[in-house]
Amino acid sequence: MNPLNPVLALIIFGAGTIAGALGVALGLGGGIFLVPFLTLALGFPLKSAAAISLSTVIATSSAVSARRAGNQLINLRLGMVLEVATTAGSLLGGITAQYVAETALQRLFGVVSMAVAFAMIGRINRRNVIADPAADPGRLGGRFYEEESGGVVTYRVRRLPLALVASFVAGNVSSLLGIGGGIIKVPVLNAWCGMPLRAAAATSALMIGVTATGGAVIYYGHGDLRPLLAAPAVLGVQLGSWSGSRLAENTSVKWLKLLMAVLLAVVAVLMFLRSAR
Amino acid sequence: MNRLERTIGSVLRSGTVASSSLFAVGLVMALTGYRDALAGVLLEAGLVILLATPATRVVVSVIEYVRERDWTFVVLTLTVLLALGGSIVAAYL
Repeated sequence: MNPLNPVLALIIFGAGTIAGALGVALGLGGGIFLVPFLTLALGFPLKSAAAISLSTVIATSSAVSARRAGNQLINLRLGMVLEVATTAGSLLGGITAQYVAETALQRLFGVVSMAVAFAMIGRINRRNVIADPAADPGRLGGRFYEEESGGVVTYRVRRLPLALVASFVAGNVSSLLGIGGGIIKVPVLNAWCGMPLRAAAATSALMIGVTATGGAVIYYGHGDLRPLLAAPAVLGVQLGSWSGSRLAENTSVKWLKLLMAVLLAVVAVLMFLRSAR
Repeated sequence: MNRLERTIGSVLRSGTVASSSLFAVGLVMALTGYRDALAGVLLEAGLVILLATPATRVVVSVIEYVRERDWTFVVLTLTVLLALGGSIVAAYL
């Protein structure tokens, strides 16, 4: 196992900062950047990289959601419903991690990310909001003040079963690959379930904390999650997520969608390349 | 802002501050070689608090939904806790 020296600590800290900033700006968590970096650039075993990444996902989720609590972007009720699926998924993912061939999973992940990237681009100009502030958001919907349009927007949640399935898959992938799972949930909630991107990202950011905990606890019990390596990553991600939320507030939704689509495509290619080795 | 959202915000904030502080102090001590054993304890504590924070958020949600007598959400949040408990069991199997 890699002994920690100041240089390695600084590298992990720096990687965490960048991953955290990008992750928060996109509502993805940051693990999607950190895991490839730790495994490909630093040569960490995948299990160790996934475990470190999960701990940063938890830290990001807690820090970001603490700041956002109260501004109505987080749909608490929907989050609680979908967490049933994400935590069940992460529990199952953590257990099955030993039995499933990693290459098969990487390919599946590549296919899913690519598909979602196309869906995102196809719906780039669509807005899932009801302009009438008095409209009924339904039992699981929500409303929040949107700075861009300067008004209160309302949305309803459609296709809940689809959201549950996506959440289960997201939880599963979270445990197996060490990511938050927002990369699967956010596009699905936005493209098919009627949620505005910001609300979907904020709700997902809250959920990934509990989801990642389900996976991280399993790695911790098996000795794959070492605090000495997790600490610099977590601190870096905290710094990055702090600056990333400012980035997100000052970037338009359209650009966020485009950036997310490009990013998903890059991740897909990386996953295919890794599975082919 | 409703009470649950406020409580969740403060739970997450305290957990984040506590774990990050422990990580920062522990990491500096470990890297400078100052009292290694204590550094290890601080880092371990930071990690455990980090892992416990989202779980605590779910626990306070259960309590709040019980107070509101919103039984659907009591069951939902308890199910989430059950799944987390399952992870703890799976961790030591």
